[in-house]
Amino acid sequence: MRNVQHHPKTDTLADYAAGRLDEARSVVVATHIERCQECRTAVRDLEAVAGLCLEAIEPVPMAANSMADFWAKAGDQELVLPGLPTARPANDVEMETCPPLAAFLPTSIDDLPWKQVAPGLSQYVLEAEGYREGVLRLLKIAPGTKVSTHTHGEGELTLILRGAYRDEVGEFYPGDLADLDDGVTHAPVAIGDEDCICLIATNAPLVFKDLVGKVMQPFVKL
Amino acid sequence: MTGVAVLTVSSPRPAARANSMDSLALNALLVRVAMSADREAFGDLYAYFAPRVKGYLMRNGSTSSELADDLAQETLLKVWRKAKLFDPSKASASTWIFTIARNLRIDAARRASRPQLDPDDPSLLPPEEPRADEVMERASRDERIRASFATLPPNQLEVVQLHFLEDAAHSEIAERLDLPLGTVKSRLRLAFEKIRKELGDLDA
Repeated sequence: MRNVQHHPKTDTLADYAAGRLDEARSVVVATHIERCQECRTAVRDLEAVAGLCLEAIEPVPMAANSMADFWAKAGDQELVLPGLPTARPANDVEMETCPPLAAFLPTSIDDLPWKQVAPGLSQYVLEAEGYREGVLRLLKIAPGTKVSTHTHGEGELTLILRGAYRDEVGEFYPGDLADLDDGVTHAPVAIGDEDCICLIATNAPLVFKDLVGKVMQPFVKL
Repeated sequence: MTGVAVLTVSSPRPAARANSMDSLALNALLVRVAMSADREAFGDLYAYFAPRVKGYLMRNGSTSSELADDLAQETLLKVWRKAKLFDPSKASASTWIFTIARNLRIDAARRASRPQLDPDDPSLLPPEEPRADEVMERASRDERIRASFATLPPNQLEVVQLHFLEDAAHSEIAERLDLPLGTVKSRLRLAFEKIRKELGDLDA
């Protein structure tokens, strides 16, 4: 598999490291990071900055008996021993088997009850509502299908799992992440000869710009 | 859910022993805990981190001192139990303890807002421990991050600290500091760029 070319913005990684992202976005970022050494390092760097902030925070005194109380609780707790080192999945493993996403998939991606929302376009909505509002979905785009032009309320994160698409920004292949602002308008077209499957996190409905999109939107419920 | 007070940050001062420790001393304490479950070393770590974690939690939804005490204690309990997983060549003590406290507060927020959720439902928490194959140069990166953090202009440092320590939206932070939202975002960006330049990830 080729190297990842498109990454989350630093702002997005900084929100992830601070624990500010909703669960849907966190899943998308975490799945990209499984495949991307560069972003993994960037997140660790940001967490190191967070650690320095924690050192500098104004301490708030604990209750008087806190330490004794702690040992009373900790005394009989078993210590966690390191397990065998877990290897990161090799780069040729399919994106959807990466642990962060795999935990949210009820079955293999091929067996999901996909719902067709327009010709050449199907979606499947994933439950990922544990922490803050957000919508996580899979979108399957048949080869040659163009998703109508749209902008994004408060940003959209799209991770390519299979196949590829091309839009105004460039070509996106598995592992690539498109981190789109509200200002960006795009109309992706699936390229190549297999379905393009994307994992998409949004926290606002997409707004379509052209007539087809407008007609399609109530039906598509994107 | 957040207070009105602007985040105050303590300047390094030699109050108690536990308050003047540098990161290497903190790492060394955690290594002693990891090697031999050293309770005295853990006591020093607790004295340093528990009140800081409590401060963090009180800015992040733990509305009462008692609740923050409980969660801070839970964080430190995790540190005690998982100390053997700590590897000072892969992360510093404060980085690791921050990630544990962060995940605990995310989890607490999730449980509080969605009590109907099945505890077995999948949930996403960013990883706390680096994997075995994580970059080997971590310690030297941390060193450079620390050096460049120490030289951030005060107005950038302020927003970086609010970003990581207080779960208020950037627009809320802007309002409190009486700044346009764009200024808050650009100060953050400048600070991260400065740090990345120091790391050699960006051309100067």
